Amino acid sequence: MDATFIFSQAVSGLTIATLLFLVASGLTLIFGVGKVFNFAHGSFYMIGAYFGYQFSAVWGTNFFLSLILTGICVGLVGMLMEFLFLRRIYGRANEGGFQILMTYCFILIIDDLVKLIWGTEYKSLARPPGFQGAFQIGDTFIPTYNLLIIGIGFAAVILAWYILARTRPGRVARAASVDREIVGVLGVNVPLTMTLVFGLATAMGGMAGTLAAPLRTVTPGAGIEVIIDSLIVVVIGGMGNFWGAWLGAILIGEVTAFGVAFAPKWATLFSFMILVIVLIFKPEGLFTRRKVM
Amino acid sequence: MKKSTCICLVVALLACVAIPFAVHAQDKTIRIGAMYPMTGRAGLYGIDSVAAAEMAIDEINGKGGVNGYMIDATFTDSKARPAYAVRVATRYITEDKVHFLFGVVSSGVGLAVTEISRQHKTIFIGTDHASTQLTVDKMQPYYFRVSNNTFMSMAAGALYLKERKATKDWTTIAYIGPDYAYGHDQWNELKYNLDRLGVPYKVVGEYWPKLFEPDYTAYVTSLVRDKPDILVSGFWGGDTVAFLKQAIPYGLLQRSLYFHPDAGGNYELMSAMGDELPAGLVLGARHYNNWPDTALNRNFAAEFKKRTGRFPTYAASGAYVGVYAIAKAVEAVGNPDDTEALVKALENLKLQAPWDPDGFTSYMRPDTHQLKKMQAIGVTMPNKDFPPATMMLGDWKIYKPEDVMPPNDYIKEKRK
Repeated sequence: MDATFIFSQAVSGLTIATLLFLVASGLTLIFGVGKVFNFAHGSFYMIGAYFGYQFSAVWGTNFFLSLILTGICVGLVGMLMEFLFLRRIYGRANEGGFQILMTYCFILIIDDLVKLIWGTEYKSLARPPGFQGAFQIGDTFIPTYNLLIIGIGFAAVILAWYILARTRPGRVARAASVDREIVGVLGVNVPLTMTLVFGLATAMGGMAGTLAAPLRTVTPGAGIEVIIDSLIVVVIGGMGNFWGAWLGAILIGEVTAFGVAFAPKWATLFSFMILVIVLIFKPEGLFTRRKVM
Repeated sequence: MKKSTCICLVVALLACVAIPFAVHAQDKTIRIGAMYPMTGRAGLYGIDSVAAAEMAIDEINGKGGVNGYMIDATFTDSKARPAYAVRVATRYITEDKVHFLFGVVSSGVGLAVTEISRQHKTIFIGTDHASTQLTVDKMQPYYFRVSNNTFMSMAAGALYLKERKATKDWTTIAYIGPDYAYGHDQWNELKYNLDRLGVPYKVVGEYWPKLFEPDYTAYVTSLVRDKPDILVSGFWGGDTVAFLKQAIPYGLLQRSLYFHPDAGGNYELMSAMGDELPAGLVLGARHYNNWPDTALNRNFAAEFKKRTGRFPTYAASGAYVGVYAIAKAVEAVGNPDDTEALVKALENLKLQAPWDPDGFTSYMRPDTHQLKKMQAIGVTMPNKDFPPATMMLGDWKIYKPEDVMPPNDYIKEKRK
């Protein structure tokens, strides 16, 4: 087997992994801190793609500025959704069912809103100038835009690590994920923390949408397509485990990439097989330490 | 007193039941129950179909209808789900008393609805779904398709590849298409037709990403390694856009001829990709806005643009022609109620459609209920006549229906 092919397939896997991680990390963060399963998280990815399209392709804003503006706008939409709707159902009996129903409703509502605003035609976003070409290694090309995505993904991981590990809001968020009530008793404004976490997580999802838009199709329904893969990553990494989501995304990305290369007929099966194995043998997630009760 | 109350109640009840029938019997309306997806990825096709069907209905009703009958269509979101569409179709037949079932983008939904049509003996006009099964092994007397099936596209594709061999030799071929019936059918039908034409080829890769797969990077790098001379694609809609966008920077489209005969040439690809769409891709579709260059086709695209603000995808032409097929059949029979006579009329249907070049008229094949039409395959090239697209197809190769329809022994074999 050709080494350059292995290398290019590994880079493909990393590209898949990075976009997966940017969506899955938000999903897992919201679950970790608020015990909310945000089924509509993929829809924030989708509106991120549309916002990116609006800023960059329609209004001609610089791509990277569009990326930041999208993050801010989608984050605000996320905070609004949490503040106006999700907050009302916290603490109810059988909260989980309500969460899934309510966030599922948001998938449909956001899909229709997008359709009303932008129509059903597919939208497209060009790669930013300077990132349209590819590096050539032997017979293989590695597109610069894919490397940019991987780079931004790493930067997001480092930034998130810094915020979660080294800053007070990060520590509060981590503490809230361990015990919401105790943290509240200690004088922390837990609902505000939750809103901010929701904003940060949806902002990441939105930015993933803009980053993916030059590679994918911007269309209503795009949200539901990424949520299943992201959910697999979150479960494999451990629900609420941020680092688990990162490692889970890399595992799924690489398994998919090499699955396609060596067993194309079964390629779509592998990620689901890993999910089943994890659910049977280590349901708390591959990268979560088993709790001693 | 009690007795008279009872009689009154019975009369009132009977009236409630009978009046709708009486109204149905008296009003001169051709009732169509249409189902199209209106949300999600396929929503674009559904919404285009609805707009085009309404356009045809307005044209026909504007001229006084058919034999004094006005067309009235109800459109329901099929949600692209067979079980749901079956409920809608049943309600259309039992409650709304429709004369025709109509529409459907997904073949899965089409296969479910054709069964309801058969059970209730209600004619179903298929306008967009392409599974060959509906007109071959799963064909039933009350189903008619006015758009083409995948066999016709792939037979035209095989002829194209055969001709190409004569000018520019190729030997290796790879396929990528969605991992469900539509994707598999296209590949099997292409290979069947290549074999039938005696075209030698060597398959160097077969890839089956799931429908709506967002990320094709790993498939692209694998196809770059396989180095096929011809890369056959069986995607539709946004999947084509995503695949091409991801393939371009890897140089895949320079190394292999991108060949996509069934849905690749649909206008939404050109409109979504604009300048990004490379020249030299070989694509086909069921209808083109810029071919044939006839008054009817130009008028169809322009009128659609006037109504909706955008040019149509191919789904629109199927719905437009479907309504005219109904009008023609009712015109021949004189009323929309004699189903068996309508079936006969549809079997003998001849209809000038936007996709018909000068001198040709589409017509129904009686033994399969599949409309026979010309197939065209073109190559992407600059053309700014249909914005926002900046590339359209040209350099057309045209194939006659008798060369691309499923041959009798194929039909016989499948119907065994």
